[in-house]
Amino acid sequence: MSDKSPRGSPTWRRYVRFWGPNVDADVDDELGFHFDMRVRDYEARGLTAEDARRAAAERFGDIQGIGGALRAHDWRRERGRRRKEYMSDLLNDLRYGLRSFGRAPAFTAVALLTLALGIGATTAIFSVVNTVILRPLPYPEADRIVQVWMDNRRTGLKEDLHSYPNFADLRDQNRVFSEMATYFTSGYNLTTGCRDGECEPQRVRALFSSPDLFRVLRVTPILGRAFTAEEDAPGRDGVVLIGHGLWTRLFARDRNVIGRAVRLNGRERTVIGVLPQSFAFPNRDTEIWVPMALDNDDRQARSSFGFYAVARLESGVEFSRAVSDLDAIGRRLEQQYPTNRDLGVHLVPLPEQVVGRTLRTSLWVMMAAVAAVLLIACANVANLLLSRAAVREREISVRVALGAARTRLIRQLLTESVLLSMLGATLGVAVAWGGLRVLTRIAPTDIPRLDQVRIDPLALAVTLGLAIVTGLTFGLAPALQSSRGAVASVLREAMRGGTGGRRAQRMRRALVAGQIALVVVLLTGAGLLIRSFMHLQRVDLGFRPDHLLTMRFSMPSAKYPTPQATAAFQSTLLERTRQIPGVQGAALVSDIFLSATPNSTNFSIDGRAMTPDERNIEVPVDAVSADYFRVMGIPLRRGRTFTAADNLDAPPVVIVNETMARRLWPNEDALGKRIRYGGEQSTAPLMTIVGVVADMRRTGFDAPVRYETFRPNTQRVLNYLLLVLRTAGDPLTMVAPVRAEFRSVDPEQPVFEIASMDQLLSSMVAQRRFSMALLGIFAALALVLGVVGVYGVTSYLVTQRTREVGVRLALGAQPSEVVGLVVRQGMTVAAIGLVGGLVGALIAGRFMTGLLYGVSPHDFATLAGVTAVIALATLAANWVPALRAAHVDPLTALRSD
Amino acid sequence: MRADTGDLLQGTLAILILKALLTGPAHGYAVARWVEATTDDVLRIEEGSLYPALRRLEDNGWVTSEWGLSENNRRARFYTITRTGRAHLRAEATVWFRYAGAVSQVLRSSPALS
Repeated sequence: MSDKSPRGSPTWRRYVRFWGPNVDADVDDELGFHFDMRVRDYEARGLTAEDARRAAAERFGDIQGIGGALRAHDWRRERGRRRKEYMSDLLNDLRYGLRSFGRAPAFTAVALLTLALGIGATTAIFSVVNTVILRPLPYPEADRIVQVWMDNRRTGLKEDLHSYPNFADLRDQNRVFSEMATYFTSGYNLTTGCRDGECEPQRVRALFSSPDLFRVLRVTPILGRAFTAEEDAPGRDGVVLIGHGLWTRLFARDRNVIGRAVRLNGRERTVIGVLPQSFAFPNRDTEIWVPMALDNDDRQARSSFGFYAVARLESGVEFSRAVSDLDAIGRRLEQQYPTNRDLGVHLVPLPEQVVGRTLRTSLWVMMAAVAAVLLIACANVANLLLSRAAVREREISVRVALGAARTRLIRQLLTESVLLSMLGATLGVAVAWGGLRVLTRIAPTDIPRLDQVRIDPLALAVTLGLAIVTGLTFGLAPALQSSRGAVASVLREAMRGGTGGRRAQRMRRALVAGQIALVVVLLTGAGLLIRSFMHLQRVDLGFRPDHLLTMRFSMPSAKYPTPQATAAFQSTLLERTRQIPGVQGAALVSDIFLSATPNSTNFSIDGRAMTPDERNIEVPVDAVSADYFRVMGIPLRRGRTFTAADNLDAPPVVIVNETMARRLWPNEDALGKRIRYGGEQSTAPLMTIVGVVADMRRTGFDAPVRYETFRPNTQRVLNYLLLVLRTAGDPLTMVAPVRAEFRSVDPEQPVFEIASMDQLLSSMVAQRRFSMALLGIFAALALVLGVVGVYGVTSYLVTQRTREVGVRLALGAQPSEVVGLVVRQGMTVAAIGLVGGLVGALIAGRFMTGLLYGVSPHDFATLAGVTAVIALATLAANWVPALRAAHVDPLTALRSD
Repeated sequence: MRADTGDLLQGTLAILILKALLTGPAHGYAVARWVEATTDDVLRIEEGSLYPALRRLEDNGWVTSEWGLSENNRRARFYTITRTGRAHLRAEATVWFRYAGAVSQVLRSSPALS
C-alpha cells in the first residue's frame, strides 16, 4: 500500500507532529486514508490499480478544495484550543504566584512598597515637569513667539522694559517678525454694579495692549471678538475682553455677556469678548484685557520706559537670525538717540520666558532626583529577587527533577515577576495620585500651569516598563541558572545551601554600592539646598519683620482728581487706622519690596559733575509717610524722618539709604546735599537730603542692596499705595477692623493683597522651600530604600553562610570576630559606594549652582555630614544581621542543612 | 435511483452520520460505506460534504475524534458518538419520521399519482 497521500505530500511531514498537533498533516492523512480505501475497494471489484486510482480520483472530486476548507477549520479550532490552554496556564501561574507571594510576606511587602514609591514619585514629578516645562503653551506654534526685552547695559538688567517709541522702531524696522505687539499690566478696581448701596468692588489684574497682541498669540475669543485697531485710540477704547475665570465668577458663564457694561477704575467699558479657559497671558492672574490707547504725547516719550513686547517669528525665520537682526536695529537706535545709549535688544523664546531658569533648573533637579530614587528602588527589587531566587533554587530544582518543562517554569517565573511589577505599579499610581494632590497644594502659586497637572500616562508607562524589565532580568535568574547547569548539580548545591554563585554575589554587591552612591548624591543635593535655605533665613533684611500687616489700595483718579484730595484721604486713613485698638503704628509706602524691574530713574547731584558710572545708576521712585521707617523698624542713621510739614507747599525733601550716602559722599555728610531725578539736563525740582536710613534688602534675600531714595507721600502724592501696620498681636486678626475702617472712609474702595509680613517673606522663598522640601523627601526616601537594600543583602549573605559561621564558632571563634568579619565585608562595599557617590555629588553640584545661596556646591560641611550619615546608616544596616549571625547556636547551624 | 448527499439537507446528512456511528467508533470512509451499503447505494455520500459535516458534529459536541489504527493498520481518525449526539439523533429521528409520514400521507391521498 502506498504511503503517499493524494496531495503527494512527503512522509517527513508526519514527524512534524512530534512537536505538537500538526493540523495540515492530519487533514492530509485523513483524506489520504479515505482515498486509499476507495482505491482498495475498486481493486477488490476487479479494476486494475491504475483504473482504480483514476476512478477514486474522479469520485473524490475537488480534493484540494475539500482539504483547504478542512485545514482552515482545523487551524481555527487549534488556535482556540491553544488560547484556552494558555489562559488556563496563565491563571494557574498567577494563582501560584500569588500563593508564593503569600508565603513570603516580608519579601512581597518590601518589594511592592519599594516599587510603589519609585514608580509613584517618578510619575508624579515627571507629570509636573511635562505639564509645566515640556507641554507647549496654549498658543498655535508657541515656540515661534518671542519675548522682546531691552538689554539695559546701564543697570546690567538683561530683561528691561522698552519705551513706546523704541518698541515702535523695533516693530517697524525688523525684517524677522510677522507681528509684534506691546503691552503693560496694572491692577484695576472692577465694579459690575452696586446693589442697595452695597458695592462689591474687586481688584483685578489688567493687561493694556496694542491691538496686535492676539494676532501675535493667534488666540481668538470664544465669545465676541478681539480689539480692532480703531479701538486703540483715546476716547474709542471703552471696550474690554474678559477671561474665562472672571466670566464664570461674575457672569456665571452667561453667553449674553457681550455688550454688558463693567466699571473699571470708575470708568464704564463694554464687554466685547471672552477669552478661552487656557488663555493665561502673561500669567494666570490677569483677567481683563483692554486697548492701550496711548495719546500722541505718550507715543513720543522716548525716555518713559514701561512697555513689554512680544513678537511672532515670520515663518522660516530662525531664532538666531531674529537675534542678529534686532541687535543691528538696537545698535542703530543707540547711535540715533542719546536716550538709547547702552540699551540693546534681548530676545527670549516665550516658552523659556514663562518658565524661568531657576524653576526650570529646580524641576530638572527634582526629575533627576526621582530618577535616582527609581534606580535605587529597582536595585532593591533586583536584590530582593536575586536573594529570593537563591532561596527558591531548591524548589525549582525539585520541580525540574519532577519533570516540569523548562519553558513552563520560565513562564511561571516570568508571570510572577510581571505580576509583582504590575501590583507595584498599581500601588505606584495611587502614590502618584496622592503625591500630586499634596504637591499641587503645597507648591508655590507662581509655578505656571501647575493646576493642570494630571498623572502622565507616558511617565507611568516608562517607569512601569523599567520596573518590568528589572523584574524580568532578575526574576528569571533562577530559571536560567537551573537550565544552564545540570539539574542534579543544582540540587546538590541547593541541598548544601550554596551562596547562589559567585557571579550573583558580585552582582548583589555592585547593586548595593551603586545604591549607596545614588543616595550620597541625593543627600548632598538636599543638604546643599537646606544649607542655602538656612543661610537665607539668617539674612538680615534690615527691618523688623514680625507683627506687620500690609494691604494695598488704589484710589481712582476719577474720584480723587487733585493731589490735595488724595493726600486728604490718605491722612484721614492713617489717622483712623492708627486709633484701632491693637494697632501700634500705621504708615503708607509705594512698595516695600521691589520687582526685578522697578519703576526707576537716573538722577543728578546739584553742584557736582556725575561720573559715567554714577550716570548709569538708577534709583526707584518711592513715596513713604512720615512714620514708615519707625513702623518698619528701619533705623534712622542721620538727620530726621519726614513730618506733616513736608507738604506740597514746602521745599522738596528726600531721604536716602546708607549705601547711597556712603558711596556718593564717601568722606562727607550727605545731609543738606541736593539731588534731582533725571539726568544732568533735567529740570525736575531739586530735593534736599534730610535724612539717611539704614539699608534694607528690597529685591529679595539674595539680591545686593541698591541705591534708594524716599520721598514724603505728602509731596510725591501717589494713588496706589500699601498700608503697613505694626500690630500688638497676630497681624492677621487686624484685617477685619482695618477693612471696616476703609469702608467707612470710602465704601467703593477695595483693599487687596492683604498679607502679614511673615506671609510675604515666606512667599518670597516659597519656590526655594518647595525645592528643598521635595529634594529632602526624595533624599530621605532614597536613604531608607538604600538602608533596606544594604540590610537585605547582608542578612541574605549571612543566612547563606550560617553553616560557615557555625563551623567557625565551633572551632572557637569569638562572636565578636564573626561580627567583625561580616561588618568589614559590608562596609567595604559601602565605602566604595560612598566614594563613588561623593564624586557624583561633586559633579551634580555644578548643575545646582543656580539654586544655591551662600553655599558652594562643594561645601565641605555638607559632604562631611552626608559621609557621616551614610557611614552610620550602613554600619547599622550591617551590624544588626551580623549580630544575629554571631549568636547562632553552632550545633543548629551545622545541622541547618 | 441514486441521490448524492450534495442534494441532501445538511440536517439529514448529520442524522445519517450519527446513525452510522451508533454501532461503534468508525473512520470517515467506514461511515460513507455503511450509508451506501445500507441504502443499497441509493444514497451516496460525497467526500466534500462528509468531512465538513463531521467537523460540524464535532464542534457541536455530538461526536469526538481520535487517531487510531484501521483494520489494515493504517493511521486513521476514528469518530465516536457522544451522549448528547445520541440524544440529538433521537430527537431528529422523531422529527424525520413525522415529516416523512406526513409527506407520504399527502402523496398517498387520492387522487392517485398516475
